[in-house]
Amino acid sequence: MSKGVLLYCFDTEQTQYHRIMDRCISLIKKNLALDITVITNERTLSAWSNKENCNTIVVEQEVGNRRNRQDWYNLDRCHAYDLSPYDKTLLLDIDYFCYTDNLLQYLESDYDFLISNSIHDLTGRDLYKFSTNSVIPMVWATVIMFKKSAKARSIFNMVKHIKSNYQYFCELYRIDFKNFRNDYAFAMALNQIDADSNQNFFPVNLPTLPVDATVVSFQDKGIDFRFNDKIMYIRDQDVHVLNKEIANV
Amino acid sequence: MSIESLKQYADLSFDRALAKKNALERAESRQIMAYRDHLFRADPETICLVKTLQEQKQFYMLDTNKNPCLIDNPAEFLSLLIERNQESLNAYHQLHQTLKQKRV
Repeated sequence: MSKGVLLYCFDTEQTQYHRIMDRCISLIKKNLALDITVITNERTLSAWSNKENCNTIVVEQEVGNRRNRQDWYNLDRCHAYDLSPYDKTLLLDIDYFCYTDNLLQYLESDYDFLISNSIHDLTGRDLYKFSTNSVIPMVWATVIMFKKSAKARSIFNMVKHIKSNYQYFCELYRIDFKNFRNDYAFAMALNQIDADSNQNFFPVNLPTLPVDATVVSFQDKGIDFRFNDKIMYIRDQDVHVLNKEIANV
Repeated sequence: MSIESLKQYADLSFDRALAKKNALERAESRQIMAYRDHLFRADPETICLVKTLQEQKQFYMLDTNKNPCLIDNPAEFLSLLIERNQESLNAYHQLHQTLKQKRV
C-alpha cells in the first residue's frame, strides 16, 4: 500500500509560499521519509528551485477567495482525494513543520479519514476556541490523513458540494466566517456524511503558533520564536506556524 | 523584595508554566501509537487495563476513537505501550530537570 504526503502550494503577490514549503519538505524528508507530491501552478513551479525528489502536479488554481484584502488560494483542497497518487495520504499545510515522526503512526492505522478537532496554542492563551462561531464543532484541515476508500471519497465530494453552495451552508450551520475556509468546509462535510459518533479524529491537539508570535530562527530540532518581547523555543514537537513572515526567515 | 524582582519572578513563573504545558503536550503526542490498525494512547490507564487483562488470551479494547480492537497478544502490546510511555516521559523528565534549575 503506497503512502505519501500531499502539499498544496500557490505563491501570491504578497507571499512566496514555496519558500515556506522548502522548509516543510526538508523536515518531511528528514523525519517522515515519505514520498512527496506537490500540487502547484506554473508560476510557483518556475520560481521554486528545490523541486528535486518531489513529484509535482501542475494545475491552474481556483481564484476568487480573499482574506485580509489579499488573494487566498485555498479553494483546491477538495480535489486532494482525486489528485493523490497514494493509497494512504497525509495532506499537510505547507506551514506545518514535522519535527517528529509522530505522523507515521497515523499512516499505520486503518482509519479512512482523520482530521484534528482541537488545537494546542503554544503561547498558552488558548486562542482557538471557536465554539460560538458555528453550531457544529470546528475541525482543523491543517493535517488530514485519508485512505482511498468510499468514505474518504464521499467526504471530499461533500466538501466540493459545500464549496459550490458555501453561503447556504454557512447560513445552515450559522457560521460567521463568510469567506470560504477549508476548516469549516470539512466540519460541515463531516456533519453531513457522518453522525457525531462515527467521526474519527487525531487523538492529539494540533500544536499551533499564533499569528502574533514571530519565528526568529529555524533550528535542526525546532524553532525559536518571539512572543511578548521574549524569545521562546519549541524542540522535538511538530508545529503549525500561522505567521506567514516565516517565508523571510 | 522590589517590584522589579517580583515582576521577574512572575515572568519566570509564567515561562516555566508555559514550557511545562508545552512539554506535556509534546509527551502526550508522543504517546500515540498504532497497533493492529488502531490508535492507542500509551498512558497509565491503557497500560493498567492491558496489565489487568493480560492473563486472558484475547480481549477487546477501545481505541482513541472508541472503536473496538481485538488484542490477541497482550504481552506484545503491553511491552510496546510501556516502551512508548517511557520514551515520552524520559524526554519530559529531561526538560523538567532543566526547568527546575532555572532561577531568577
